[in-house]
Amino acid sequence: MKNRNRLKQNENLVGYAFVMPALVIFIVLVAFPFVFSIFLSFTDWNFLSGFKGIRLVGLENFRNLATDRTFKMALKNTFIYAIATVPTSILFALILAFMLNNKVYMKKILRFAFFIPYISNAVALATVFKFMFREDGVVNILLQSIGFSNLPNWMADTQFNKIPIILLLIWTAIGYELIIYMAALQNIPRDLYEAADLDGATAIQQFTKITFPMISPTTFYLVVVRLISAFKVFSSINIMTLGTAARGNASMVTEIYSNAFSGYKFGFASAEAVVLFAIILGVTLLNFWGQKKWVHY
Amino acid sequence: MKKTSKRGMVIRTIVLAVLAIAFVMPLVWMILTSLKNTNEVFAVDYHWLPSKFRWDNYKTVWTNDSMSMTRAFANTLFITIVSVIGHLIVAALAAYAFAKVDFKGKNVIFMLFLASMMIPSQATIIPRFMMFKSIGLYNNLWAVILPGWFSTTAIFMLRQFYMGLPDDLMEAAKIDGAGHLRIFAQILTPLTKPAMVSLTVLACISSWNEYLSPLIFLVKENLYTVSMAIRWYMLDDSQRYELTMAAATCSIVPIIILFLFSQKYFVEGIATAGVKG
Repeated sequence: MKNRNRLKQNENLVGYAFVMPALVIFIVLVAFPFVFSIFLSFTDWNFLSGFKGIRLVGLENFRNLATDRTFKMALKNTFIYAIATVPTSILFALILAFMLNNKVYMKKILRFAFFIPYISNAVALATVFKFMFREDGVVNILLQSIGFSNLPNWMADTQFNKIPIILLLIWTAIGYELIIYMAALQNIPRDLYEAADLDGATAIQQFTKITFPMISPTTFYLVVVRLISAFKVFSSINIMTLGTAARGNASMVTEIYSNAFSGYKFGFASAEAVVLFAIILGVTLLNFWGQKKWVHY
Repeated sequence: MKKTSKRGMVIRTIVLAVLAIAFVMPLVWMILTSLKNTNEVFAVDYHWLPSKFRWDNYKTVWTNDSMSMTRAFANTLFITIVSVIGHLIVAALAAYAFAKVDFKGKNVIFMLFLASMMIPSQATIIPRFMMFKSIGLYNNLWAVILPGWFSTTAIFMLRQFYMGLPDDLMEAAKIDGAGHLRIFAQILTPLTKPAMVSLTVLACISSWNEYLSPLIFLVKENLYTVSMAIRWYMLDDSQRYELTMAAATCSIVPIIILFLFSQKYFVEGIATAGVKG
């Protein structure tokens, strides 16, 4: 009995020792900063004034957020980016995956081509798009050569400046979704289709009655993951808008970044970060709640 | 029957090839632009191909004293290697404990880790900045490295993998007098190689492409990473787009090479993380 207790204690020690590195980093670099962010959101603090400058202000930051025009714009933009990019890229990826899963020549090379943007450096790709969408850039030159005139200065014109960003975000997202869909499609048993063929089901019926329900958990996973990353979008927008006159493109994270690190308004920026967290949490919970209606496990 | 399926295959291939070409077009444009001179980049009479391939642009970005790609590559390589090694060791240790050691509070800790996946790193960057600045890690490559050492995804994936390994292996080793450290290091971990390789590739790519952390913590130009170097060329007053594109091309090539060598593991890694996780 004594021996057994010692053994048990030993197991405990070994367990803690193995988890320790992860736990320490988790506490210092994730849990503490998270809690501290929430605390800071109730303060007014310019980082340059030192720790003594921290002043509790209650809900003032959140009240200011509600009337802050740049923040409201960033919030609206972030939703626009998410809604414009997530469903489109997922649908496009599904179509591509469906075609690539059938017999095609050069399957690996084709898959690779769709995949490159996803693994490439986001800053590099954003500079490419930024240059291509200049007023005298190659996109306008191409559009002109096929007969369009009065072409916009994409990034400066508030009517058009989200289009290049949305295209960039879709372009870079598809590779990941494609790989996941291809794996999911391969997991669907062949005989389901064979049976459907025998019963005379059309290709479209097969897609809506077999493929779509069978891959619905994957679609659900992609919607959740993609929405979360869409709400965190930063690099592409930061690069695309650097140095341009129009400020109408900010996302929530670019807005947090500029308030925190250009203005050193740590309290206000933390309140924005808390709102970002709440939105991501809310959207994810909503997704999990909604999945009962359309996801088949 | 056979004939129509062959025709379908050709049509599908053509449609996909057209789309694939459209997909890589911006990258082709990037490479072609990186080989032009400044006048050609903005020529009104536009040509896709440079009049002469100016490989000199690459020499310039690699040897430029104000912003050398050599320096940026060295910094990024250091960050990537140290991040990835730390990330794997920390994750493997924790994953082994969660899967194979029976200790008090293990489920609570595991649930905490899982719940933290909901916290976007962008929401914790302000306190992290404050901490790193007060302990002297501002303008230090470690400020970018350390946060990468904790990854719930990696812990979760490896835990699944360790759980899949039979306990008999462990019991046999225990009878021979091996402790957990030996079982972990010499018996079980070598068996997780496929998962380790996938995680390595995924982690390499995300560290190599990291932007927000270097932007906040690495302000000195001699500490710039590849992403920061591209940004520097983009903002440079001389506005030499061909150099920015050369820098951008240089940042993408290593990742493509890595991908080509590890395609199988990479695709499996993403797919297991997505489909089964």
